[in-house]
Amino acid sequence: MVDIIFYLLLLFLIITAFFMVFTKDLSNSVITLPLFGAILVIIFVILQAPGVALAGAIMTAGLTTAFFVITINKTEYGRNE
Amino acid sequence: MSRLNERFKKLYKIGLVITFAVFLLFLFYDIHNLDSDSKRYLSEHYISEGLQETGATNLVASVLYDYRAFDTLGEATMILTAATILAFLVPITKATMFGTTFKSIVNQTVKLIIPYLAVLGAYLLLFGHISPGGGFVGGVVLSIIPILLTITYSVEFSEYIFKPDQKKLVEDIGAIGFVLLGLLGVLTGSNFFASGQAYFRTGNAGEVFSAGLIPYINLMIGLKVGAGLAIIFNSLIKEK
Repeated sequence: MVDIIFYLLLLFLIITAFFMVFTKDLSNSVITLPLFGAILVIIFVILQAPGVALAGAIMTAGLTTAFFVITINKTEYGRNE
Repeated sequence: MSRLNERFKKLYKIGLVITFAVFLLFLFYDIHNLDSDSKRYLSEHYISEGLQETGATNLVASVLYDYRAFDTLGEATMILTAATILAFLVPITKATMFGTTFKSIVNQTVKLIIPYLAVLGAYLLLFGHISPGGGFVGGVVLSIIPILLTITYSVEFSEYIFKPDQKKLVEDIGAIGFVLLGLLGVLTGSNFFASGQAYFRTGNAGEVFSAGLIPYINLMIGLKVGAGLAIIFNSLIKEK
């Protein structure tokens, strides 16, 4: 049962990574990044690495997304004014 | 012609990704099939005798802060350098805040969340040698508090609560204390950053005050990383 969930999670990881690279809108790409991070955290917990899972949860799903959102907000991307 | 050119560009991108994936597949296959008889004696030594030599239940912390603490000093110096450069480049112009104004739901929710975040960060700091966690992760959780204040209210309110001079002082205390704890191993006649070899481990394994110098090094690194990330975020959000 765990094997089926594990391989499904690996498939979702590949799908989100391809979507992040090949999408046209920058906002969609940035919002897909915490999804990628959350799936990676579940994979780390299945592989019995809780320390790496904690670091990945906080950094990838929380902090880098905030940094990217603020950087895109500073560049005035997508403002039709 | 232009359509052909676009299709060629898309195929080129997909081909690059697939080539890179195949290369990584071969690389990991070779790494996985290395001769594991004669080259793994160091990791076997860490796993079998790390608890006796250092006294830390978390073996990752025993490697990071006792066997290889000098590498951790280098990593912490990187964060210190980045925070110093970004604090030096504080802009003169006044920053424009976000276009959205938050409703009162967001303000009250952030007020409720902040004490739980503080307790979680302190737990991850102080129990880094028993359970998963440690200095870096606890410091990042503690740095989320001024970041949330900055995003929700304003830069001025966040710098009224946590003043920039205080944050720089806390970061310097963390950096200098880390090096002084390393010199404590030299005073006892052993190597730099020696806690297990200098017989510092007091108490039983699994308690809070055990494992020698590892909890204090965790505390110093947590203060340093938290203050450094808060300084970096506030300096970036002030840019116009």
